[in-house]
Amino acid sequence: MDFTQVMLVFAVLAPGLVSAAFALAWLAGWVPEERVVSLVTGMTFPASVAALAVVVWRLLSAQTVTVAFGNWFSVRDYHFPMVLLADRLSVVLLGMTVVLVGLIGRFSATYLHREPGFFRFFLLLHLFAFGSLIAFAAGSFELLAGGWEIVGITSVLLIAFFQHRTPPVENALRVFAIYRACDIGLLVGVFAMHHWAGTASFASGLPHLEGSRATTVGLLLLLAAAGKAAQAPFSGWLPRAMEGPTPSSAIFYGAISIHAGAYLLLRAQPMLAQSGLASAMVVMVGLATAVYGTISGRASADAKTLLAFASLTQVGVVFIEIGFGLKWIAVIHILGHATVRTLQFLRSPSMLHDYHQMHAAIGRQEESSGNWIEDLLPARAQLWLYRWALDRGHLDTILDRFVIHSLMRLAKLFARLDRIGLPRTPERREQPVASFGAAARERVG
Amino acid sequence: MTYPASLTALAIGVPWCAAVVTVLIRRQLRAIAFGASLVSVLASVLLLRAAPSSQSLPEALMLLYSCLTAGATIALPLRDCRGGTIGGILFLLGSTLLAYSADDLVVLLGAWIASTIPFLFGRWLGARTWRPRAALLASSGILATAILLIARSGHTLSIARLARQSPGGMAVFGLLVAAVVFRKGICPLHAWVGDAAEDGDAIATALLLNGHFGAMLVARLIVPLFPGTARDLFPLLSHLALATALYIAIRALTENSPRRLIAYLALSQSACILAGLESRTMEGVTGALVHWCVVTTSTMGLFAILRLLEVRFGENLTAGEYLGLAQHAPRLAVFFLVLGLALAGLPGTLSFCSQDLLIHGTLVSHPLTGLLLPAATAMNAVTVFRLFTRLFLGKRRTGFTILADALPRERWILTAAVLFVVVGGLFPNAIVARWTGPAEAVQQADGIPPRRSALPVRVGRRDRTAAAVFSGLRNVRLEHRHGLDFDE
Repeated sequence: MDFTQVMLVFAVLAPGLVSAAFALAWLAGWVPEERVVSLVTGMTFPASVAALAVVVWRLLSAQTVTVAFGNWFSVRDYHFPMVLLADRLSVVLLGMTVVLVGLIGRFSATYLHREPGFFRFFLLLHLFAFGSLIAFAAGSFELLAGGWEIVGITSVLLIAFFQHRTPPVENALRVFAIYRACDIGLLVGVFAMHHWAGTASFASGLPHLEGSRATTVGLLLLLAAAGKAAQAPFSGWLPRAMEGPTPSSAIFYGAISIHAGAYLLLRAQPMLAQSGLASAMVVMVGLATAVYGTISGRASADAKTLLAFASLTQVGVVFIEIGFGLKWIAVIHILGHATVRTLQFLRSPSMLHDYHQMHAAIGRQEESSGNWIEDLLPARAQLWLYRWALDRGHLDTILDRFVIHSLMRLAKLFARLDRIGLPRTPERREQPVASFGAAARERVG
Repeated sequence: MTYPASLTALAIGVPWCAAVVTVLIRRQLRAIAFGASLVSVLASVLLLRAAPSSQSLPEALMLLYSCLTAGATIALPLRDCRGGTIGGILFLLGSTLLAYSADDLVVLLGAWIASTIPFLFGRWLGARTWRPRAALLASSGILATAILLIARSGHTLSIARLARQSPGGMAVFGLLVAAVVFRKGICPLHAWVGDAAEDGDAIATALLLNGHFGAMLVARLIVPLFPGTARDLFPLLSHLALATALYIAIRALTENSPRRLIAYLALSQSACILAGLESRTMEGVTGALVHWCVVTTSTMGLFAILRLLEVRFGENLTAGEYLGLAQHAPRLAVFFLVLGLALAGLPGTLSFCSQDLLIHGTLVSHPLTGLLLPAATAMNAVTVFRLFTRLFLGKRRTGFTILADALPRERWILTAAVLFVVVGGLFPNAIVARWTGPAEAVQQADGIPPRRSALPVRVGRRDRTAAAVFSGLRNVRLEHRHGLDFDE
């Protein structure tokens, strides 16, 4: 392993090691002070940036930097290759991740000062960075799926960061459910690649698939990407995810996590190009999301939700670019969008103050953009669109009514079937939790 | 007595003797139980080292189960450290190890029945409702009938020598499958598992469920004895197992009893194990065996954590509201989350690898119904997370006088469980390679085309010589030679 490869491994592993060290320290009964956490964070990401700079330097003269660790595990002909890959696509995302997560870490050290969950936040932030770096530096779709799942779980845990309030916890559960449902697409897509092409590794070129096979895999990956990037029809979860602390919203839904889906499609883009249907679907999903995000965002009452819809719109446009095969435009778009949106999210708590300053400077109220388009519509259409936007395109309502309620009805039916053969007694009423005090007074084993 | 036989006797005999001692003495119960389990662990380690890789399935299962029991004896709350409970757990350990190591059908039947005895009595470890008792009795009765039919048809009762003979034909095959369905809780006969977990002793019931006798019967008996029949009819059982995994995953979505929820998770995931074993692919079988390790460790940990919470905060815990227990027991919360998500394929844990192999194996053998497996796993993950949020998140509760998080002994044993699934997930090759040998053995038992065995079953010295001569030849009908009495 040469120096560049060591640097690539270091850049990817460093946040994971910090996260593991934090977890073990906590388990051993030591919660590091805020100062220590900030210091470690402040050292980790600049070090990762420096390591990545070495990789970028090498990529000026080479196409890729690859680190092969052999097979993570293998059973007869089935292998799970452990390959890290830095090429001109992944290094952009890798660099964006370490820089932005480092900035967020610096910002959060002040923003979350004396917050009860300070340590938890940083532990999860490092774990998230590790998951993202694994996903972006993966040389195979299997490894990408591993990092992808880590990003998902940390995202959900940070949505439920304010755990004493019920809405964040409920929203976290909903987001988790949508993530898991859509991740089926990635799992089955990876299987299909293995089955038809014999590998899901792209370190030495993407698996070659054509015709209906390319379409099937492309659509499965689109399902996964749409779930992670909150594209239509899964867009309902993104406003709910704004329950988390602002720095996590910025890094997840303004910068990294929201673009992970686009990265997946960029990786699979040559395969998508083999299938007109899959490419068209990518464009349609992106277009639908862009329109949805624009309209719904205009009826949003709070800053973070507004920014979330703005993110949706831009990522929708990125999907369109990918669908049309404009790979490098999409990469530049991702980079620019992530940077600007992160800044906007971080400024969102003081948005009113910023607006007041701006209005004072220009001497009048600034009109929101696009009003002239609204005025072109008839009054009834405006009203209908307003209601549609206010209910966020009825996406959650549709999901609730046709999927969740149906599933719950089915589950209740199964529960009734399970009770067959048992005596008909009224269901045990749960006692209020306050009565637990009596039990707690007993000796704890 | 040979070296392996004496070690096996030690692994089984010590827990049984300790069970009697605990019932009689009723002092230092945890120490006795842990010591006895440790002896079983050490004996199993030595057995595993001595066994060839391809024939090490029983030894590996023995080691896994003894470790599980040793962990359970440490995690057991003081309130549950009664002579009956500890005695029952040790009795179960001995019976389960006997079942794993049995090479004779009668011994297997005896161990099968013995493992159910503590759960047939409501005052011992059993549930108040009738369904668990009925299911356990039915499975024992059906297995006994199957073995009786084999014996009546004149076959030997040695499992090794019955290999590939399809003893008793379809009737015995059907009975064995029925025994699996009852004992494993395959849909529609799954309801007893929830009842057992709800009403019975939590940790002992977890040990009962984690014996996975149904999967053991498939791997050790049905596949080797009925390769041809299994090849034709296993897809049916495999579809049933996959349907069970999904059915139970959906069923769990509205359940509010934490014990039932964890039992359903265990059931759904163990149905995945069965589906993997029946996938007839190397990836599927290996994935199933690795997943066996994960499911037993995780569900044991989850049941233990739940019991510890019950002891601290009352036995009427519910997933119907937010209890906010993470504020009082943060370490238990983290252990619960990691072990719970490890059950559902969290990356960085061993189940990520096992699920990967399982999904690959089942999709290869059943491209359409195999899709049920990732769907069921996704729903199970949602159920785990829902249970976690309901138990541990939400507004901090007041009114507790004792707010103890995990005690040191609980903390370290749960840490060991978490480390097993996490370190195993980071470096899975060692564990996967360990199970590849047994998986190959299962595959070979299933993969050989059905044909009459060249080896006679009841053989004398002269006949053994003849068998040895002809053992390399295929389709040699030895029963026509020398007028010997062969079982066919």
